[in-house]
Amino acid sequence: MHIQKKHTKEKFFKALFGATAILTILEVASIIVFMLYGAVPALQKIGFLNFIFGSEWNSSNYDTYTGPMEGLYGIMPMIVGSLFATAGAVLVGGTIGFFSAVFLAEFCPKKLKKVLSHSINLLSGIPSVVYGFFGMKVLLPLLGVFSENGDGAGILSVSLVLGIMITPTVTALSKTSIEAVDRSFFEGAVALGARKERAVFKVIIPAGKSGIFASLILGIGRAIGETMAVVMVAGNNPIFPSGIFASFRTLTTNIVLEMSYGGELQTGALIASGAVLTFFILATNICFGLIRNSGSRFKGKKSSLATLATSYTSTDFTEATKAEGLLDLQTTDGELQNSQTFNNNFLVTSKKTDKASLIGKHMGTVSTIIACVSLFSIIIFILVNGLPYITSELLFGEFSYAGTPSIASSIVSTLMVIVLGSVVAFPLGIAAAIFLAEYANKNGKMCKIIRLMSETLGGIPSIVYGLFGLLFFCNILKMGTSILAGGLTLSLMIVSTTIRGTEEALLMVNDSLREASYALGAGKFRTIRKVVIPNALPGIFATIILGISRMVSESAPVLFTMGASIKPMPTGFKSSGATLAVALYALGREWMHINESYATACVLIILVLILNIASAMIASKFTKRLTCTT
Amino acid sequence: MVEKYSIRTEDLDLHYDAFKALSNVNIQIPEKTITAFIGPSGCGKTTLLKCFNRMNDLIANCRITGKIYVRDIDIHSDIDVNALRRDVGMVFQKPNVFPMSVRDNVTFGPITHGVKKKSDLDKIVYESLHNAGLWNEVKDRLNKSALGLSGGQQQRLCIARALAVSPDILLMDEPTSALDPISSGKIEDLCDELKSRYTIVIVTHNMQQAIRISDYTAFFLLGEMLEFGETEEVFSNPKNKKCENYITGRFG
Ligand SMILES: Nc1ncnc2c1ncn2[C@@H]1O[C@H](COP(=O)(O)OP(=O)(O)OP(=O)(O)O)[C@@H](O)[C@H]1O
Ligand SMILES: [Mg+2]
Repeated sequence: MHIQKKHTKEKFFKALFGATAILTILEVASIIVFMLYGAVPALQKIGFLNFIFGSEWNSSNYDTYTGPMEGLYGIMPMIVGSLFATAGAVLVGGTIGFFSAVFLAEFCPKKLKKVLSHSINLLSGIPSVVYGFFGMKVLLPLLGVFSENGDGAGILSVSLVLGIMITPTVTALSKTSIEAVDRSFFEGAVALGARKERAVFKVIIPAGKSGIFASLILGIGRAIGETMAVVMVAGNNPIFPSGIFASFRTLTTNIVLEMSYGGELQTGALIASGAVLTFFILATNICFGLIRNSGSRFKGKKSSLATLATSYTSTDFTEATKAEGLLDLQTTDGELQNSQTFNNNFLVTSKKTDKASLIGKHMGTVSTIIACVSLFSIIIFILVNGLPYITSELLFGEFSYAGTPSIASSIVSTLMVIVLGSVVAFPLGIAAAIFLAEYANKNGKMCKIIRLMSETLGGIPSIVYGLFGLLFFCNILKMGTSILAGGLTLSLMIVSTTIRGTEEALLMVNDSLREASYALGAGKFRTIRKVVIPNALPGIFATIILGISRMVSESAPVLFTMGASIKPMPTGFKSSGATLAVALYALGREWMHINESYATACVLIILVLILNIASAMIASKFTKRLTCTT
Repeated sequence: MVEKYSIRTEDLDLHYDAFKALSNVNIQIPEKTITAFIGPSGCGKTTLLKCFNRMNDLIANCRITGKIYVRDIDIHSDIDVNALRRDVGMVFQKPNVFPMSVRDNVTFGPITHGVKKKSDLDKIVYESLHNAGLWNEVKDRLNKSALGLSGGQQQRLCIARALAVSPDILLMDEPTSALDPISSGKIEDLCDELKSRYTIVIVTHNMQQAIRISDYTAFFLLGEMLEFGETEEVFSNPKNKKCENYITGRFG
């Protein structure tokens, strides 16, 4: 037996993976430093209070940090605009999403449920420019009929577009949290004689409320950070919104509208408003985190309740739940006092209709119908209008500035960006995830900091990545507007989702396999390489495909870094050009090439749907296989 | 003749955070014998077993004091833990075959430890599977996924996989508890054959199994080893009252 020797290889790999994880800290730090670096001089010049509370935005390209200031830089109208737009989006998307989730989780027939859930998950990946485009071409003329000035743009159109956009996200997450509620609650309530809809609305939903709130907050985050869909339907005047049809700007659209031609001070002010935006989003994310934590505390309470529910008699359960403040059984309570025998009482209760809950149930059905109809009609409308115009000339034609547009160069640019972004983001993100899942001490400070940073990165709105890319890659590193700068910017953006997805896949690998490998004397690195990664591979693939789909869908970050108009075929990574999403934005804003715009939207939707379906299929196979193993 | 011990512990204590899972364990396991660990659930059998190949290193809140010697080497001195685990093989309660081919499962260990030549690997595959009594059943499907095997076959593959790195000692944690009686029987027979070459420590909840296959038996309760001796002696004439109660089924 010769067991006296030591390995240094293990230490090397640990250090390597650790270093990639630390890069995430570096990324957040540099974004923050850049924000301050860009914003502080401008704020000094404008004055912090004038900037935040100023009610007029009338920028001038000639303003510098030193000379006299001609323009006005108050972002209050945009802050109010963002708040209104978000509130409207949550009102529309939150309501529809919540009630659809209730319907899908509790009242939907099984077969239908499967189909609907899958399609709603898929629809959450549809690029936001597509929503914006649809809003611009269909919704605006429609709403214009009701508007005094004949223009449909404004809070109402933005709320509708954003609302429909966030519906799939809210639905999917709320549904998960409703389904996660312990079934014994439901049984407890039904055993008390409550009707199904009453049990759902009075017991299940209150118990799952933390998850439902969290899904709303995630929706808020998406709405507040959205740029391209808003810019196409908001009218874009930098003034306080005065009515549902009044043209206005949000913080994001203000940046995208002015950044490309901004002067020195103007650019600084736009970066500062990016900082304000990031602050809003991080604040919502912190709320999200707090709610999630209180959710897990709540779970502890829940499980004790669950035991109560199953082990006590029904009377005791009523008392217990009342004591926990969960049940609002006033009707039952009243009748309890009138009579001595429970059984009769509950029979009485169950015959009584609980109007509010019944209305809720119908709202669920209606909301689901609205959600499905609007989502599918968007897709179908675009497919019907676009498919006939997907011609070989559009896809492969020679570029010319005058004639019919060809998106050949955009297809190539998109592919190049995907390749570049993938090469940078996936190795880094996967290595960092390996460190977090396999090496780091889960409760250690280091791990917590890295995870916090990675979550922060996930929360930063895409337009801020665009700002960062523009100033850092294009200007400071002198890459210019190029595919190189665009790809790097996108890769920064998807690192955090890659880390999260990969980590989840790694953690799903059964620990017994790791144990078996260690027990054979395999070292940590060998165990990871030969046992853990091969088993997590499908999950990692699914993550990669989702990352690619995100790179295809995003437009705000590449708009600044790669250019906003369709260009001739790129000759290398130094060329500029529009990705497909940006091409749709560019084409869609002109009325000239309406058919080509629809066709481009089709190409985009089809591409993203294929990627999402592939990802979902791989992921579900993966889960099946893992459950077979154990 | 002086008896040689494969495993020896001196005043072994083990804590999970503040919880004392093993206290003052002094055990001496003779070479080329089968030793059974018995005792009620939660008494620390698995914990002790995992001390012998330092699998407890993987548990963050686990703290060990006292000494453990494997073949007279202090395993907490400056040794290569991977080499220790090669020499002290382990089979787990639930079969945990890797989702790879049968062949790759067996060669995983040897390749880990530097065996490269195909002919050597082929020989190892044959010998390990043969010794695990599995060769005839899988020889036509070596390159098929191991997940297609039955539970009993999977567990014997796990044993083959452990044998493939030619250990001296084999630790088995309730290897038959997830199996049907026929598969269990095959594994018991296998243990009996392996005894001539390996020192085997087996955790079992099945008294009959302990009597059938082991030479020595150790009884644990609440982290303490209350009885250790030749199996016949322990079962026919237990010195410890609690051990007697357990064996005769009065608690546990
Ligand atoms: N990782 C851990 N952290 C904290 N306590 C643990 C841990 N692993 C085991 N324990 C505790 O140590 C005690 C001994 O556990 P062990 O798994 O060794 O028991 P066992 O005798 O193998 O039981 P069984 O027959 O059920 O397998 C138990 O009380 C258990 O709860
Ligand atoms: Mg055990």
